[in-house]
Amino acid sequence: MKVDRPLPSPPRWAESLLLLLLEPRDRESFSGDLLEEYRETVIPARGRGANRWYAGQVAWFLWRAAWMWGVAIGAALIVRYLFDTLVPVTNFVDRSITLSQAIVTIFGAAAFWNTSRTDYIRTGILVALAAAVIGGVLSSLGSGVLLGIWHDPATLRAWQSSGGIDEALIDIPVLLIPISLVSGAAGAVAAKGLWTPIRRLGGRWSPP
Amino acid sequence: MADVLGAFEQAVLLAVVRLRDEAYGRAILKDVQTRLERDVAAGAVHATLERLQNRGLLSSRLGPGTPVRAGRARRYYTLQPTGLTALNDSREAVNAIWRGVKLPLTRVRSTS
Repeated sequence: MKVDRPLPSPPRWAESLLLLLLEPRDRESFSGDLLEEYRETVIPARGRGANRWYAGQVAWFLWRAAWMWGVAIGAALIVRYLFDTLVPVTNFVDRSITLSQAIVTIFGAAAFWNTSRTDYIRTGILVALAAAVIGGVLSSLGSGVLLGIWHDPATLRAWQSSGGIDEALIDIPVLLIPISLVSGAAGAVAAKGLWTPIRRLGGRWSPP
Repeated sequence: MADVLGAFEQAVLLAVVRLRDEAYGRAILKDVQTRLERDVAAGAVHATLERLQNRGLLSSRLGPGTPVRAGRARRYYTLQPTGLTALNDSREAVNAIWRGVKLPLTRVRSTS
């Protein structure tokens, strides 16, 4: 008697993540394409490495959704450090407020856009979180480069009075994580709150 | 000139032309990988198909799934007249750039 073996499947978490990142119209067709490729080409060629391949394909989508926002966060922080280095002031409050507002806005916008695109609140928060990681890494690298270029006593004093080197290299990148979660949740809920009633009313215009 | 296409966009559109009625996501991915002779992220092909469709160069429809893809529908793509024009224009543009150059290129004359 022939017994049909179940077809191999990619990790469930990776499939769930993929479905979160895809727009509704592509969820079925694209996840099917990837599953077909996984089963017919990648499993025979790579065996156990197939799961890594699948995870890599999903990571590509997360990167695509988040990189631009992450670069915006990193750029905002580096511009701030650049100002603190080249145009030091005695009171950094105004700069801190402006930077905080910019960062919250970027996280909120990332979550709003991605929730609008996918209709999932979780996607918005996830993309904001990924943007925080990308922005944090860029900010640490950027502040390291700035310190490599300008490390005279006067500049180091200016850095110290604006929060210190530890803050730029470690504290702020770590702090971005909770900020991204809170701002991302706000942006995602706003998007859901805006589009759900419009869709229910059958509005012709929908987010891209 | 209607539309200037990048090399990757041309590879995707030409895959749709070659595959005719069998032009769905995975088949297009395999064709592009074969032609470009490198691994291509499935997401990159997907994003390009989406962009070309938004530009009106392609249209799509859903078809039935198969057991190997857990019954999930396939999305089949069809080239639109604007897509055909864009491909022809792109070919013309490349020809115009290369016109007058003797092939194959052998060496670059030093200016210093």
